[in-house]
Amino acid sequence: MKKMSIIQDLFGKSPFGPLVEHTIKVHECVEMIRPLMEAVANEDYREILNLQNRISKLEYEADLIKHEVRSHLPRRYFLPVDRADIDRFLSCQDKIADKTEDFAVILTLRKTRLHPNIIDKFFEFVDQVFQVTGTLLNAAIELKNLAEVSFSGAEAQIVIERITKLNEEEWLADRIARSLSKDIYSLEKELDPIDIIFYEKMLLTLSDIANEAENAGDMLRTMIVK
Amino acid sequence: MDTIILAVTALLGLYMAWNIGANDVANSMADAVGSGALSVKKAVIAAGICEFAGAVLVGSHVTETVRKGIINPSALANLPNMAPGEPAALLVIGMSAALLSAALWLNLSTWVGMPVSTTHSIVGAVAGFGIIAAGFDSVNWGKMGQIVASWFISPIAGGLLAYIIFKFINRTILGQRNPVAAAARITPFIVFFLALVVTLATIYKGLTHVISGLAWFTDTHSFAIALGISLAASIISRIWITRKLAGKDTLSLANQLEEVEGVYVPLVIISSCAVAFAHGANDVANAIGPLAAVANILHTGTVEMKVAIPLWILVLGGAGIVLGLSTYGYRVMETVGTKITEITPTRGVAADIAATTTVLICTRLKLPVSTTHTLVGAIMGIGLARGLAGLNRGVIGKIFSSWIFTVPAAAIVAIIFFLIGHYFLLDQIREIILAANSAN
Repeated sequence: MKKMSIIQDLFGKSPFGPLVEHTIKVHECVEMIRPLMEAVANEDYREILNLQNRISKLEYEADLIKHEVRSHLPRRYFLPVDRADIDRFLSCQDKIADKTEDFAVILTLRKTRLHPNIIDKFFEFVDQVFQVTGTLLNAAIELKNLAEVSFSGAEAQIVIERITKLNEEEWLADRIARSLSKDIYSLEKELDPIDIIFYEKMLLTLSDIANEAENAGDMLRTMIVK
Repeated sequence: MDTIILAVTALLGLYMAWNIGANDVANSMADAVGSGALSVKKAVIAAGICEFAGAVLVGSHVTETVRKGIINPSALANLPNMAPGEPAALLVIGMSAALLSAALWLNLSTWVGMPVSTTHSIVGAVAGFGIIAAGFDSVNWGKMGQIVASWFISPIAGGLLAYIIFKFINRTILGQRNPVAAAARITPFIVFFLALVVTLATIYKGLTHVISGLAWFTDTHSFAIALGISLAASIISRIWITRKLAGKDTLSLANQLEEVEGVYVPLVIISSCAVAFAHGANDVANAIGPLAAVANILHTGTVEMKVAIPLWILVLGGAGIVLGLSTYGYRVMETVGTKITEITPTRGVAADIAATTTVLICTRLKLPVSTTHTLVGAIMGIGLARGLAGLNRGVIGKIFSSWIFTVPAAAIVAIIFFLIGHYFLLDQIREIILAANSAN
């Protein structure tokens, strides 16, 4: 039997809860990068395969949450932020998970050894990328609270500050990437060219992750400033 | 014999009141139930008490509008070729037909799940009877226009007010670096405003209706009393909030916001009760207006321009609403409560204050507005202030379609009932009225 209540129909589901969930799940993927790098450094190829499987699974789970968020965004819903901004934010997060999976897949394609001269800087770069995505998580996790304060006031200020920090960290990551690139090419005489291609691929994929994290942060900022 | 007619009309009025209780009341408590502040069971009890109080204490003001504002009884009396007592008999049949048609229409709508307004139903039904009994001109189209305008004005006014109140709460409390301290400072003002609106509406003219003969109970005095009560309420809230939030201002921002929402839990209960109160005050007229007209005719035998509404009729209306709520309305309340809504106590308070204020002002202006639509407008207003995470715009379309359907549908059904009653019962009722007249 149907019940008559306009008010009940009036409230749509909030997309922000699932959006935060998605952010957390994506970050779980990213958390696998450092163990992956350690496995590469230890030349533990079985572990790389294991980790790649886990990332695949996490990425799939993130996709499920993504679909749930999208299902919370029908046109007839009236949202406190632009639907397109949420959509773009979601795409950026989605790409972070995708790129992380790509990174794992690259490592499984070929048994590439890390040259001892670049190991330290490579880890420095990985840690910096992780720093960027971590800051994004810190900012994005506030989405539910932001909705609570209708994207304004002190809470919004805090998130904006975190995004500014994220921008700086991404800039630093870029710098490390450039310097790492130079280090790689300085070894061109002694390295197998295929190794160089693989280093370059790894580096670009990691840079993409940091870039997408920055884009996601910018979307978050757009939501607040709207 | 006339007691039988009165009893039948009273039953119709009760049926109408039952429908109001079954459909509308759940919406008035929606903010409290939706934000998780009240369980369904407690909400039913609280709503029952507040609806009844609103109906009995303030309810009499709108009654006149529905009864004789929309149609002019004297137009019936001035019709040519009227037998003695016929206008009165027509009015008795017409008002009963209107009650029956509005109540049936409501019942049907509940059954198929269409959100219609009780107010719209009765207005349409009375207008339908007026058109068929005394022609197009007997309907007071100016008044009708005012009422139609109020259907648009009430959601817009409710929305605007809710927008302002929520923006105020957001800017002065939620958006602060230290929301806990801000809440302790600002909330007593909000309590003051809420208490002032409710007490003013209650005692300004409402109480004099129940407790008559108090000479000193003038407008100035009642205003002073309202101020006093509101001040007391705001001081109590201040003490309570300060105690509740003591030592909480060192928490993180997110935790502080949670604490502030916690403080607004009792407030959203009180403000939802205020909506139920306003709803009772406003909507009871839909059931008892026609009943009061019939009772008066049977009592005096004539069609009078202005009658006092006996207390027993108000009590009957209030009781009918409570009955509808307790026998059926709780099921609607359950669906409101169990669906996960994203409304928080602060939003609930803002929407409730806006809706209460709008409805009570409209009630005082003798405009019967739809409480549900006002509340929907208020919630929309909070959505516009970026206060709600997701809001279904499709509901506006539903409300519009209910506007388009309800008035003509109720009018047509009322016309059919009136014609049937006119054909079979006119002479009997006319004689009863004439008998009552000569007995006086």
